[in-house]
Amino acid sequence: MSEEKGPTSAHGTAGGKKSKLNLNRLEMPKQTPEERKRNFEEVATGYTFEMAIEEAGRCIQCKKRNCRQGCPVNIDIPDFIKHLQGGDVEGASRVLKRKTSLPGICGRVCPQEMQCEKTCILNKKGAPIAIGRLERYIADWERQEGATTIPEIAPSTGKHVAVVGTGPSGLTVAADLALLGHQVTMFEALHVAGGVLMYGIPEFRLPKEIVQREVRYVKSLGVEILLDTVIGINYSLDELLNTKYHAVYLATGAGLPMFLRVPGENLNMIYSANEFLTRTNLMKAYLYPKYATPIKMGKRVAVIGGGNVAMDSARCAIRLGAQEVYVIYRRTRSEMPARLEEVENAEEEGIRFHFLCNPTSFISDGRSNVAAMELIRMELGEPDASGRRRPVSITGSEYIMEVDTVVVSLGTSPNPLIASTTPDLKTSKWGTVIVNEQGKTSKARVWAGGDIVSGGATVISAMGEGRIAAMAMHQHLAE
Amino acid sequence: MFPIVAHNELAPKVHRMSVKAPLVAQKCKPGQFVILIIDEEGERVPFTVSGWDAETGTVDFVYIEVGKTTNQLGTLKAGDHLAHFVGPLGKPSEVDHYGHVAAVASGYGVAAIVPILKGLKEKENRITTVLQAPDRERCFGQSELERVSDRLILAIGAIGENMSTSATQPVRKLLANLAQSPVDRVILMGSLCLMRVISEMTRPYDIKTMVHLTPLMVDGTGMCGACRLSVKGTNKFACVHGPEFDGHEVDGWEVLMARRCSYADESIFQQGFQCRGCSQW
Ligand SMILES: Cc1cc2nc3c(=O)[nH]c(=O)nc-3n(C[C@H](O)[C@H](O)[C@H](O)COP(=O)(O)OP(=O)(O)OC[C@H]3O[C@@H](n4cnc5c(N)ncnc54)[C@H](O)[C@@H]3O)c2cc1C
Ligand SMILES: Cc1cc2nc3c(=O)[nH]c(=O)nc-3n(C[C@H](O)[C@H](O)[C@H](O)COP(=O)(O)OP(=O)(O)OC[C@H]3O[C@@H](n4cnc5c(N)ncnc54)[C@H](O)[C@@H]3O)c2cc1C
Ligand code: SF4
Ligand code: SF4
Ligand code: FES
Repeated sequence: MSEEKGPTSAHGTAGGKKSKLNLNRLEMPKQTPEERKRNFEEVATGYTFEMAIEEAGRCIQCKKRNCRQGCPVNIDIPDFIKHLQGGDVEGASRVLKRKTSLPGICGRVCPQEMQCEKTCILNKKGAPIAIGRLERYIADWERQEGATTIPEIAPSTGKHVAVVGTGPSGLTVAADLALLGHQVTMFEALHVAGGVLMYGIPEFRLPKEIVQREVRYVKSLGVEILLDTVIGINYSLDELLNTKYHAVYLATGAGLPMFLRVPGENLNMIYSANEFLTRTNLMKAYLYPKYATPIKMGKRVAVIGGGNVAMDSARCAIRLGAQEVYVIYRRTRSEMPARLEEVENAEEEGIRFHFLCNPTSFISDGRSNVAAMELIRMELGEPDASGRRRPVSITGSEYIMEVDTVVVSLGTSPNPLIASTTPDLKTSKWGTVIVNEQGKTSKARVWAGGDIVSGGATVISAMGEGRIAAMAMHQHLAE
Repeated sequence: MFPIVAHNELAPKVHRMSVKAPLVAQKCKPGQFVILIIDEEGERVPFTVSGWDAETGTVDFVYIEVGKTTNQLGTLKAGDHLAHFVGPLGKPSEVDHYGHVAAVASGYGVAAIVPILKGLKEKENRITTVLQAPDRERCFGQSELERVSDRLILAIGAIGENMSTSATQPVRKLLANLAQSPVDRVILMGSLCLMRVISEMTRPYDIKTMVHLTPLMVDGTGMCGACRLSVKGTNKFACVHGPEFDGHEVDGWEVLMARRCSYADESIFQQGFQCRGCSQW
């Protein structure tokens, strides 16, 4: 159930009397909670052609184009919807591709309710156009049709660019610069390209085949991807700059997990969300033993945190066979940073939320496995710097909760590897790389973007920053 | 793809594998490790480098067959390929001039400690090494250790032939003899229990004792936190801050051991293996 004035409250023809507006925001078909709790297949199965046309038909093509302002990469939303209204999916795809190279991904994982759909004029009536779902439809249609049109590639400039990290930010820069005729090499520490899209976000939210298809597309533009290569180890940043590379883009993300720092946190069966999700998604532990990496799951699982990562961990735990999964969050439901859609999905799947409480210690079973945790109740005090009300613990309210598995999902910060091997790269006290509006770092010929700069944001913002930096890099390379 | 250029059995279930990986070979330092994946369905498993050659671009490691991946490695032949091979990971071991260094090695540590001892030798340390093995048959790497040590003491399971059963015995003797022959540094590469016990033995004498910790790892680059452990009350990641640590500063050995065994019941192929909350080597 949604607390927000969601589509349900605006259902029916009630609004139809006042205007000709169709407020019937079309839901996507989904696997039932009972079914999907037992598999890793995609939860929502996507619109059909008829549904896409129907939903697109609701868009009133307003002159002010509020929706476009809400999108971090300013997709020409009314224009692609117009093509859809006329049944021209290919035309719609062309409009989309002008601003995003990853529509199948953004359509699935963008927090649309905070972005394009929030500013859509129909949101005032509680029924914004389902822009993300339409983008997803277009991308899936193109995938099923097979042939992706490769845009024309500019003649070679003879310039070499190194892109470090193959997440959404790196992939965007690589594609943009390759199209402009530069020779791009990407370096990836892991054995698979895609960044968080591969190791973090689970299959049931973003099928890995879709990510790999985007990776293949980037390769088809002539980009070379070197896996199993860690910058800061195999090559330092300076080594890249001193060899054939004229410019470097750093997009290594924010992969360093944070912990609570309370007693007992290193007990066995307490995972960081990164380990838990990496085992599950990247290493495919849910297909063990076909895939060799196991994951150990207990029966009563507590996930600490309230963001997307916590939702993903909780929903993976249920699918891996946990009997009960609790999300422990120190504020209330309305402060949760996770996407609303994913919170609702989690609730439907039987995940239980415990708000206004926080672990103070973990208790051993006597053999160094976690057996329980001590929690303290919280209340909301004065707003903090972020504007959210600060949680304050209530003295003497401690209580015990029995759990046999814990996933700590408090967020991440940038991995210090590159910064620590590059003394002249300026970073903030949070370890993020400092850049100007063009993504230029303090170091000559080095740009950066995505989570390594923001400290952790969204796929689309990581792409948007990449796009801006790519233009700046192109200008520099042309000089 | 990374071709296997040589693969030899050193003792039952103990093999040395040499892999062509020029990018890794170029940067290797003593005490570092690699992570390999056999095929696209494979697990990421870490191994300490026991040798490398930047010119030929090869990297060697010695492994013991203990479970799924290491058993599968055992079936591969020279000419086969590994899907992935990344490294060198972790911090190199500290190598400097200390004076008299006592080293203790067991299991794959017998081979993996060799580059470190070579480095120490180059820095003109006097080296006394203790090699522990369960029995004669499973003892390997003796001649290599002899070459890099001033003195090699065997601690082999079968009693007799002037051999002790556990490395703790010769270490106790060395410690009893400190007045005549001071030990300036101890370096340990073996089972967790052995490293823990010897760290406790040297603590009262305040001899710096380095241990090589091998908690479960996934990525090996500081991203997953699986390898975290408490050192002097703060969390360290063995894959980036280690694997070499000061044994007197390591807290929570129990957790380290428990974590290592947490997958034993799932994937172990050894018959009759029972996790007793401690390492098997
Ligand atoms: C579980 C989870 C769920 C999320 N859900 C959403 C969501 O629903 N919607 C949304 O918009 N955002 C979501 N996010 C956030 C989003 O995924 C990130 O903001 C985005 O992926 C950042 O992209 P990036 O390109 O900056 O870095 P990343 O995707 O983190 O990629 C960085 C890459 O660089 C590699 N790398 C790191 N160091 C090195 C090195 N030294 N040498 C070589 N390679 C290196 C890494 O291995 C990695 O592949 C989620 C994040 C997580 C973890
Ligand atoms: C930094 C580091 C360096 C290492 N160097 C070497 C080496 O040079 N030679 C060598 O033979 N082994 C080494 N290991 C251990 C090696 O990684 C494991 O033996 C291997 O992962 C077991 O995989 P498996 O699939 O065959 O066994 P599994 O079927 O996964 O497990 C079998 C048994 O091995 C234990 N085990 C699993 N993973 C590890 C691990 N990472 N560390 C210790 N024990 C583990 C399990 O708890 C279980 O008891 C090292 C480990 C680390 C972390
Ligand atoms: S990219 Fe994201 S924010 Fe932009 S229009 Fe698409 S779904 Fe909305
Ligand atoms: S604001 Fe909404 S209704 Fe208006 S053009 Fe954009 S998507 Fe269509
Ligand atoms: S192995 Fe993942 S952080 Fe060390």
